[in-house]
Amino acid sequence: MSAAVGGVIAIGPLQLALATVFVVFVGVLSIRLSLGITRDLALATVRTYIQLGVLGFVLRWVFAVDSPWLVLGLVLLMVIVAARILVKRSPDAPPGVFASAALSMGLTGFIVTFAVTGVIVRVEPWYLPQYVIPLAGMVIGNSMNGIALSIERVFADLDRREGEVLALTALGATPWEAAHPAIRDALRAGLIPTINSMAAAGIVFIPGMMSGQILAGADPVTATGYQIVVMLMVAAATAMGSVIALLLTYRRRFSADGVYLEKGFRTDAE
Amino acid sequence: MPQNALLNAVGLVAVLRADDRDVRVLDGISIALAAGTLTDITGPSGCGKTTLLRALAWLLPGATGTLSLDGVPARTIGAQQWRSSVALLPQRPAIISGSVADNLRLPWTLKVRHAQHPPTEQRLREALESVGLDDVGLDRDAARLSVGQQARVALLRVLLTEPRVLLLDEPDAALDEASSQAVAVLLRDFARRGGAVARVRHHPPDGLASCRVSLAGGCITLLAEEVQP
Repeated sequence: MSAAVGGVIAIGPLQLALATVFVVFVGVLSIRLSLGITRDLALATVRTYIQLGVLGFVLRWVFAVDSPWLVLGLVLLMVIVAARILVKRSPDAPPGVFASAALSMGLTGFIVTFAVTGVIVRVEPWYLPQYVIPLAGMVIGNSMNGIALSIERVFADLDRREGEVLALTALGATPWEAAHPAIRDALRAGLIPTINSMAAAGIVFIPGMMSGQILAGADPVTATGYQIVVMLMVAAATAMGSVIALLLTYRRRFSADGVYLEKGFRTDAE
Repeated sequence: MPQNALLNAVGLVAVLRADDRDVRVLDGISIALAAGTLTDITGPSGCGKTTLLRALAWLLPGATGTLSLDGVPARTIGAQQWRSSVALLPQRPAIISGSVADNLRLPWTLKVRHAQHPPTEQRLREALESVGLDDVGLDRDAARLSVGQQARVALLRVLLTEPRVLLLDEPDAALDEASSQAVAVLLRDFARRGGAVARVRHHPPDGLASCRVSLAGGCITLLAEEVQP
């Protein structure tokens, strides 16, 4: 039934099928209770099989090829896909957010990932895909969530506070001064999930990377070290990414004369 | 129009989008506000009175025309400096979270006034008394004030910055008779000290205005020019 490969109990087709039984149960429950999530659940399950299945084979190939260009290209692809997802999740944001989001995630993604692999973990060679790709995925994925929250929040908040923004501008405030309360709240909103996760780690739950390493047979103390590095890295990347993204985007909602563009004054389609 | 204009606006044009069509709300309006005068701007709702005030305050995106203060073009003065001299008070008072003192000192937290000292507590108390807010403490949570009290705090916040021109959008809309009178006295004193006031108003004339104009169809008409207040 179960075979241990390099300390890990391998999951075969039968185990995968058994795991799917739980989702089928939820689907049946959804139909009986008219929850309306059956289709989405089925689609998400199929996507999980396909996407992770493909990822497994792609990573096996990338590890075998062992090329720095391939690793850098994959990280760049992650940044572009994350920026596209972020734009879709920010309907209130002005046009041009894609470039700003991609730039902020690209900068933080590359800087934080390679700082960790090169300076802290000191992998050899510097692009070792087994380390760089999972770490970059965690940095980019988490900073995407933080940046999306910050951007969505700042533009919704500026619209909600447009009276305050006008009053501040009328008193002589620069766009930065007028938008500052909204920017501050947006940054806080973007960082809160990461801070909460750091506060609860080890008490409420065992974080994902540590769980993975323990399941793979690593010593829990060794896994702890990696997990701490990852959590600090994710917090730094989320904060840096959110700050850069907000600084690059908030000014787009102001005219060249520094006046907030209320909905009636915008040229972009709402 | 008054002579020796403090604020001069020539050929103001503003086209706004409403109901999927462009409306020329200001159609080449020229207006001059002289030192020591108070101009009432009247007209039906939606005729563009607020738009005109925003254009005069350099707060209307897309507006064209020329503005000058004491003969100096607005472009030379710069947007932030212009707005600190030509102060607009929007109709809805924008109160920030914090105390009454925080709100009154808000303008001095901005870069445009970094070289100035904020008013002292004594000065703030005198200002509150001048508009009938004697019973409002400086450390009172501003969010818990009534709408009328907030409107007066917002007016004081602008007046304390000592602008050259005041642009007021229905300043007494939320005020009772006694508070309106107190505000009227403040505005009269402001004009007497050499300031110019433009006030959008729906109420009947209160004898304070030295000039009354009407706005309709994007154009301005002089209704009456009265004796100096």
